Amino acid sequence: MNYLLHLLTMINIYAILALSLNLLVGYTGLLSLSHAAFYGIGAYISTLLMINLGFTFLPSLFLAIIGAILLSFMISIPSLRLKGDYFVLASLGFQIIVFTILYNWIDVTRGPYGIPGIPRPNIGGIKIESIASYSIFSGIIAVICVVLFYFIGDSPFGRVLKAIREDEISAAALGKNIPQFKIKVFAIAAGFAAVSGVLFAGYMQYIDPTSFTLMESVFILSIIIIGGTGNISGPLFGTILMIILPEILRFLRIPDTVAPNVRQIIYGILIIVIMRFQPQGLSGEYRFE
Amino acid sequence: MSILELENVTKTFDGVRAVDDASVGFDKGKITALIGPNGAGKTTIFNLISGFLRPDAGTIHYREKDISGLVPWDIAHMGIGRLFQDVRLFDRMVVMDNVLTAFKKQKGESVLMSVIARWKVIKEEQSLKSQAMRFLEFVGLTEKAEELAENLSYGQQKLLSIARLLAADSDVLLLDEPTAGVSPQMIGPILDVIRKLAREGKTLVVIEHNMNVVIEIANWVYFMDEGQVVSFGLPNEVLGDPEVRAAYIGL
Repeated sequence: MNYLLHLLTMINIYAILALSLNLLVGYTGLLSLSHAAFYGIGAYISTLLMINLGFTFLPSLFLAIIGAILLSFMISIPSLRLKGDYFVLASLGFQIIVFTILYNWIDVTRGPYGIPGIPRPNIGGIKIESIASYSIFSGIIAVICVVLFYFIGDSPFGRVLKAIREDEISAAALGKNIPQFKIKVFAIAAGFAAVSGVLFAGYMQYIDPTSFTLMESVFILSIIIIGGTGNISGPLFGTILMIILPEILRFLRIPDTVAPNVRQIIYGILIIVIMRFQPQGLSGEYRFE
Repeated sequence: MSILELENVTKTFDGVRAVDDASVGFDKGKITALIGPNGAGKTTIFNLISGFLRPDAGTIHYREKDISGLVPWDIAHMGIGRLFQDVRLFDRMVVMDNVLTAFKKQKGESVLMSVIARWKVIKEEQSLKSQAMRFLEFVGLTEKAEELAENLSYGQQKLLSIARLLAADSDVLLLDEPTAGVSPQMIGPILDVIRKLAREGKTLVVIEHNMNVVIEIANWVYFMDEGQVVSFGLPNEVLGDPEVRAAYIGL
């Protein structure tokens, strides 16, 4: 039972990651490889505030979101003029810089040793201690986020994002301030990724930089490529599939030594098959071209 | 006094004077055609007006305000709209959403409003939808409202692009080849829409290669060649000018 609740918690955390990346990739057409960086920024900011300064959960969640939003300007503002592949490279650079800082700034982050002993959330005297209660807690936050994603995506704001994806020049000629929209959507996506990071740190009670690598960014991206982008159901569907799939592989009695490699191969094949036969993903709206 | 006026505007690309000391003006309620061979600088004039390019020299005045050097979205907000030569619709959005996107100052374009005051945004959206329907009716696309823009015929796409400019509340419409590549039976409806807009007091500037269309709709004609304005006047005068005939039309 705890095993299933663990999977549920992971689905909650990754659903927020996938849906926030979807705002960039599926709505605005900005392919970003820096999502794990913001996920890690959220996790580290809240952890450091709780461990070093004795902050409680909610204030550190709030400050983690603010921190991720402020750091998002470091990538969104300089790369506004970059398009397509060049934007991807800029986001890749940011991802690598953040990972390098987390790994090497040992005085603050303890680098590869990681930070143990992260307290479980305590909200107004209610301590979220057991795996069961954490799955419910993360579920509530995920549902709130899904509603917010729906409101944002379904609004005129979301429509302008799609217009930017379709034709940026034409959207500018219709009076849309393109840089402003891009900076905003980047900040929103970073803020939500930070929420996931805070949930992850509170759940694992231990973080180290290897949870926030480039491979993790690629994994989040593959969730939405496989599930589909440009709506809510695609990323949700992708999250459930990509979290459950490796667990199913467990039952195939693949030796532990090769299991991670087999998993990577299956992800790779899955992406190739999807891109070839179902370019809008399993349940997406936006078709990659 | 023209509503939109370019004075001695020059734009150079790598030493080539794409627009060379050109002065043109466009009048409210009139259709002005820009004609001339490829590379004459007509589209560059549009890029300069709509803010995608900055003039190297000269000024651009709209309603007596200097707009040279403003960014495209600010110029659009002042009421200057543009139909691109290759239309540039939001292809994978439905026709209705293409028009709805164009409305200015929507409350729902604020993230905060769409999250905390969603009911207000929904209410605004309903009124915008009925306005959008009127613009679609104006160009004859009501039945296509829920169709993806990429599924429209080329002529319908140009009409949708005009509907979008109307939703953006444009007073000046810069139309870059509105009939080029359009099937013959769609040319009539597009010209009707252009004439109706002029009658409503809009300022229309049309880049056009089809001389029959120019004679049919234009009130004034500028002939450009190698970045310079060579000739200006009534359509019959300009098209009758021997220099214009020799340089361009070959009639």
